[in-house]
Amino acid sequence: MFQFKLVLLGDSSVGKSSIVYRFVKNSFDEFRESTIGAAFLSQTIKVKESDDGEETVIKFEIWDTAGQERYKSLAPMYYRNANAALVVYDVTQQDSLVKAQSWVNELKNKVGDDDLVICLVGNKVDLCDEDAEDNKRAVGTEEARSYANEQNLLFYEVSAKTGLNVQQIFQSIGEKLFETKSEEIAAAKNRQIGSSNDHVNVQLQRASTNDPTSCCF
Amino acid sequence: MDSPEEQYIDSRPSRDQVSLRPSLSATSSMFVTNATSEPTTSITLDQTLFRASTPPLEAISDRNDNDNSNDDDDNDDNDNDDDALLESLSQSINSYENSVSRFSHRVVSTDIPTVFIDEAPGGNDELSSWNKNFFILTSAGKPIYSMHGRDQQVTSLAGIINTIMSYFQLRNSEDIRTISSGNAKFSFLNRSPIILVAYSRKGETSNELINQLDFLHSYLISSLSQRQLSRFFNKRENFDLRNFLEATDFENLDEICSLICERLYPDVLLGALQCLTLKKTYRTQIHNAMLQCLLKESDLPRGTILYGLIVAPNNKLCSVLRPRGHTLHTTDLHLLFCLIYHQFQNLQNQQEMWVPICFPKFNSNGFLYCYIKFMTNAPQQVSGPKPVLVLISAQKDAFFPLKSLGTNLIRSLQSSELIDKLYRAKSIKITDVPAPLVHHFIYKSRKHVQYVMPELQFATQPDTESTSEQTLGYEKKIMTYYQQIHKSLVRDDGGSFSRSTLSFVQWTATDSLSTVTDQSLFQEENISMMGLAWITPSFELYLICNNGTNDKNVVLKSAKKIVSWCRKHEERLFVNEGAIF
Repeated sequence: MFQFKLVLLGDSSVGKSSIVYRFVKNSFDEFRESTIGAAFLSQTIKVKESDDGEETVIKFEIWDTAGQERYKSLAPMYYRNANAALVVYDVTQQDSLVKAQSWVNELKNKVGDDDLVICLVGNKVDLCDEDAEDNKRAVGTEEARSYANEQNLLFYEVSAKTGLNVQQIFQSIGEKLFETKSEEIAAAKNRQIGSSNDHVNVQLQRASTNDPTSCCF
Repeated sequence: MDSPEEQYIDSRPSRDQVSLRPSLSATSSMFVTNATSEPTTSITLDQTLFRASTPPLEAISDRNDNDNSNDDDDNDDNDNDDDALLESLSQSINSYENSVSRFSHRVVSTDIPTVFIDEAPGGNDELSSWNKNFFILTSAGKPIYSMHGRDQQVTSLAGIINTIMSYFQLRNSEDIRTISSGNAKFSFLNRSPIILVAYSRKGETSNELINQLDFLHSYLISSLSQRQLSRFFNKRENFDLRNFLEATDFENLDEICSLICERLYPDVLLGALQCLTLKKTYRTQIHNAMLQCLLKESDLPRGTILYGLIVAPNNKLCSVLRPRGHTLHTTDLHLLFCLIYHQFQNLQNQQEMWVPICFPKFNSNGFLYCYIKFMTNAPQQVSGPKPVLVLISAQKDAFFPLKSLGTNLIRSLQSSELIDKLYRAKSIKITDVPAPLVHHFIYKSRKHVQYVMPELQFATQPDTESTSEQTLGYEKKIMTYYQQIHKSLVRDDGGSFSRSTLSFVQWTATDSLSTVTDQSLFQEENISMMGLAWITPSFELYLICNNGTNDKNVVLKSAKKIVSWCRKHEERLFVNEGAIF
């Protein structure tokens, strides 16, 4: 089993907690209270190994952070050791995309790890009906997608309310992380064959925050 | 029981106390004040500031006698002698009609009448239609929060409040505390850059209102910290704090206001915590488990964990893990409990929270970090309020060590079935305590800074539809009684008349049967309510008797029984030392 750390970032009330609940509990609560501080949850998914069709279990340890400005100074502690980041915006709020972009910049500047998988997620597409008069969409799909491509991010438009695409985000992040890790393992195995030592400990997990010797920062 | 030299006589003559209050205005005089004729009276009717709710009431007298008969009672006081008590009880009922011939009822009822009018706004949305309101504004006069009222109304009021406060600061170079007018009272608390104002027609003392304001202010600090608050206002004096507060802050303020004003929440009034009633052995086992789990985490750097708490539903403290010589302030715990049960009640069981909170009385400039997790006996258990584990650290990156400690502790409590015990713990009932004619009581142990009260019981089984409304109304009524009873013991500034005081408060009404509708087979009950307040250096007791009770000796006897019962079961009712590391 692989274990990955994932963090959700984004402006307040874009639906970060709702996405997590859809993923973890497959449920939705219209009147969710704002997150205070941060919530820690975990959920597992299965990914197929391409060559032999066997399934591997991936466990996500998820930090669902509060979007409120006052908790911003705590964010580094949550994303510091993350393997993946979901940067969420609200497709009906143009400002929230701006905020998401600033999170992406912060991640790229501060984490400095090319293996960090960032996924840009536009939530609340259930409020958008392209044909209806009261279409609430304020951020065009193409606008966001081209930004995501430019920055080399994964991109999804989802609805936590209907569940549309929510599972897919985590699935594709899982697969991407698994792919990277498999390559690392393969490389480690090759090294292992080359060396006389039979046992090499492969560090699958990134150092956790409780490790005082953590060298990431 | 108590040493015989303890005195239960007010240290002041009644006239002095009366002069502290505004005099009863002619318009609101539905009462006959016969209290002045009694030399030992410590409060008079105009202090209750209430009109009777039932129209036929012609006179309500509020007598408050300090008990001089304490010595007589001591002679025949035998807590286990129920026969003597029953005899005296029956005597009191028999002699009832003789003593107060105008009253026609002979029964003692467990239904508590409403004697305090609740002036709900009658269709208009004037600010004055609310009998209680809180305002929070900045020192520059910008509104931050109000319990009731629209923005427009509050803004103009904020200007007036600001002017009044500045006037007193300039002229007297000190802050104004209270303005009283008739039965209305404004109390002010200046915590620059924040000003808080309470308005009340509910008869609270200035001190009580100011305590409530301090609690609201403490909430703001817990959310922002004093340092951050000062930083905003140092930069710009006319900073608009509303833009920085979040929806959750306003929700929490609403919740706190409604707790203080609408519910049976004596925590702020008494400055004490309620505790989960739990067998001594279980509590000891929980505390031992806490210490053992802490010992097992040998790689936990010293100082990582400051405090550990187990909190049961309804803001009840269950267990404490703390360093030797350190305790958390009651107000800080009240704030934490409010937050837990308002904000986190919908959390998933497996979810863990990491929440920065400033504990204003611990350190108003810094944040502590709380690991919060609900405790369940089975992972999939869902509905209903759950006990919660809180582990507190001063280090913001201590989540994972605390998570590991918390997980081990919960596992240990699960395997020893102690979590089960928490779920099954029952509040005490009034029937558990051998105290005849007592409807409800609050006993505060000063040593523990904790109080205990029996759970509320309904005379009739409320149907589910109206349950919450009925419960709320009942809680509010009981709380108002306690406020009045408590007030009989303290001066307006909160000081008590003497170290030990015993005081009876009585609400009676005459001729209330005259206008009962003819068709009704049921007689409306007469109102004859008695309450007792008793404070000594070691405890405070407040009790409300059943309607119709009027023998002070019996009530005092019951009070003594409650006190000795609470002392006997002290270790079950209160958290003593907790687990100390």
